[in-house]
Amino acid sequence: MQRFMWVLWPSFVVAGIAEAVFFTLIDPQELYFFGEPVEFSRMATYSIGFFCFWAICAASSAFTCFIQRGAEEVNRCVIASTCKDRISDS
Amino acid sequence: MPELEPGKLDVSLSLYELQKKIYPRAVTGWFATWRWTLVWFTQLLFYGLCWLPWNGRQAVLFDLAERKFYIFGLIFWPQDVFFLALLLIISAYSLFLFTALGGRLFCGYACPQTVYTEIFLWIEEKIEGSRAARMKLDQQPFSTRKLVLKTAKHGVWIAVAMWTGFTFVGYFTPIKSLAQSVLSLSLGPWETFWILFYGLATYGNAGYLREQVCKYMCPYARFQSVMFDPDTLVVTYDAERGEPRGSRSRQSDYRAQGKGACVDCGICVQVCPTGIDIRDGLQYECIGCSACIDACDQVMDKMEYPRGLIRYSTEQAIRQHWGRKEILAHLLRPRTVIYGAILALIIGATAYGIAARLPLKVDVIRDRNSLSREVEGGLIENLFRLQIMNVSEIPQRYVVGVTGLDGIDIAAERVVEIPAVSARTVLMPVRVPPEAGKKGSHRIYFDVKALGDAKIAVHEKASFLMP
Repeated sequence: MQRFMWVLWPSFVVAGIAEAVFFTLIDPQELYFFGEPVEFSRMATYSIGFFCFWAICAASSAFTCFIQRGAEEVNRCVIASTCKDRISDS
Repeated sequence: MPELEPGKLDVSLSLYELQKKIYPRAVTGWFATWRWTLVWFTQLLFYGLCWLPWNGRQAVLFDLAERKFYIFGLIFWPQDVFFLALLLIISAYSLFLFTALGGRLFCGYACPQTVYTEIFLWIEEKIEGSRAARMKLDQQPFSTRKLVLKTAKHGVWIAVAMWTGFTFVGYFTPIKSLAQSVLSLSLGPWETFWILFYGLATYGNAGYLREQVCKYMCPYARFQSVMFDPDTLVVTYDAERGEPRGSRSRQSDYRAQGKGACVDCGICVQVCPTGIDIRDGLQYECIGCSACIDACDQVMDKMEYPRGLIRYSTEQAIRQHWGRKEILAHLLRPRTVIYGAILALIIGATAYGIAARLPLKVDVIRDRNSLSREVEGGLIENLFRLQIMNVSEIPQRYVVGVTGLDGIDIAAERVVEIPAVSARTVLMPVRVPPEAGKKGSHRIYFDVKALGDAKIAVHEKASFLMP
């Protein structure tokens, strides 16, 4: 739960800011998607745009979380899994 | 923090760490009255303003689908993003100024998180009863009474949350047509989604997360200390007067027993929405709601001790035993004066900028497909697209002129009519005689003027290409 919040909350905030800046400057009806003009309603484009921003930001947060673990923590995981293997072998 | 075992204690839905559920005790008093006044004010504004009509439209509407923001008589277009930036700067400086003066005034009184938590707690108290009754109810095994009370509480919470979600969306989509779509069950998928999303967020934040939002999710709580200084008014426990704390009978002379004024009743902790003990000193969790001040004052009254064992004071004032006069004298200091001056300057500039804004905007775009071409009579033609935006709420007729080269002229209808609050893109073929200039780019100017009002005029530059 904690990690979920670490990832989802900051990305939500940043996605909100990105959404506001992006769509203030760019009209969704001027966008092209695979060479075709976007035909969704503006509301739909805004909403989809927001979730795309959120997903991108969440990926970044998740990566931060992933590489944040210290050496000790990573090693402990490795040791724990090898121990588990030995226990299951015996 | 000691480890808590889930299951043994009542643990609230916790996102960041296991913690004991907080049951804030209801409180009355001067600060509580102010807090409720602010709840009423902000919520009447929020729930009511979107229904207010103006010029036959919604007075305050951030029309995302049409990309226009209406605030009473003012209309903002995406081109006015500059004002949005100014608004953000004004908000930031207001926050700096108020924080430097009186600590977390925003958090304690005006933050939606505080306001909705207050409303949801009030509903909880009305349905489930006082703090003690709620704690007892949660410890009780499942029963019909518990089911009825919990269902009622969540029912009312969801109703308030959904109305909040509906109102929120009503600021971005005209609320009257939104209401009609809800009533006729023909709401669009995105409106439905956002009403549910915002409603659910309100329900979760005010019903469950509460103080966790302030403690773990709010960035302001983390950097508030930057704006604090020793002269900032904050909720303070007067340890010198209060310690050593301890229980005593009302008649006894506590000074003779070597005790301070704090009777250690713990009510200041019980009323705290973030569950801290203010007697441990200023903590980042303190949202400055002053519930503990009201609670302590009541205890002091009962004990017939002077009020203000917990009070709004400053670090310096406590240390140097200042009274109200000295504290107020220190409100004016370099930090607050600088914040105030910058704030006043930006507000002034913004107000001037809005007042001096022309109700006409013109964007000139060169036609990308043809650079320049020769037309009949040997004239050289460049094509321009003029996006003319009538920002006023009355239809307008504009005349377009062009200058900058000898013999320059427009080979099209020069008068353009544009309805209220709309934009039109017109194609303007501009022609010059071939001897008007050398090969290359030449600066020309478009003049767009409103017919009947010479003040509404835009002088926009463009470049003309000679082959």
